[in-house]
Amino acid sequence: MNRKKLLTKLSAVQFAAWELHMYLDTHPLDEEARLRYKRHLKEYRKLKAEYEESFGPLTPRSDSDEWLDDPWPWDNI
Amino acid sequence: MFQYEKKLQYPINIKNPNPLYAKIIASQYGGPDGELGASLRYLSQRYSMPYAELKGLLTDIGTEELGHLEMVGTIMYQLTKGLSEDEIKKSGFYDYFVDHTTGVYPSSAAGVPFTAAYIQSKGDVLTDLHEDLAAEQKARTTYDNILTLVDDPDVREPIKFLRQREIVHYQRFGEALRLATDRLNSKNFYAFNPSFIPKN
Repeated sequence: MNRKKLLTKLSAVQFAAWELHMYLDTHPLDEEARLRYKRHLKEYRKLKAEYEESFGPLTPRSDSDEWLDDPWPWDNI
Repeated sequence: MFQYEKKLQYPINIKNPNPLYAKIIASQYGGPDGELGASLRYLSQRYSMPYAELKGLLTDIGTEELGHLEMVGTIMYQLTKGLSEDEIKKSGFYDYFVDHTTGVYPSSAAGVPFTAAYIQSKGDVLTDLHEDLAAEQKARTTYDNILTLVDDPDVREPIKFLRQREIVHYQRFGEALRLATDRLNSKNFYAFNPSFIPKN
């Protein structure tokens, strides 16, 4: 998968997880929502690992010099 | 602590620069109802939030607002990239240009620099949550006004995403207010301030 496509997929799954996470702040007893959250989180971790393997780190890391590589989030891709 | 993630919350790829749009949208960077104020408001208010759900919510929404600040900055950056002198003179962008060139600076569309006077952190759970509910609606109206003025779909799509987030945050703050009042005296919500004097 190319960078743009994988990043869009990763962001969509991350967004779904984040939305459920915030919902759970005010509905901590909703077990169905928690299960859905866990499913999205698992998928997000998988896609994040896949993205970082091909396109470099998303969070600051210096085991290689890839952190400094373009594009930065504000660049057109 | 905070840790950075090298990606936007929602993708932004603007093909056609438009400095006038950048000037309008700057208001959501550092204007009266912008994302900088939003993040500072929630991240500051959370210290005096008395209930676990509210500590979590203020932390999470405040953090998301920092991501929105980055999105608005990205829109400004891409809308002002590679401008010619002529485009700057003709577009009405010259008053921003003279002070900031094409740097991203927190100010309102009218050029008023960001001030913490836009926000409040009152140390009272009911007061702060009502401020937050109002803030989300004020930001939503500003995004509606931006959508009235901006035609380019590359700009409208991320603005529509940001507008929608204001509505979701408003919903969550409404639930937070209900969670707070459920723990107070239903005959007098103001009998004591749980952020300041815990009820024994």
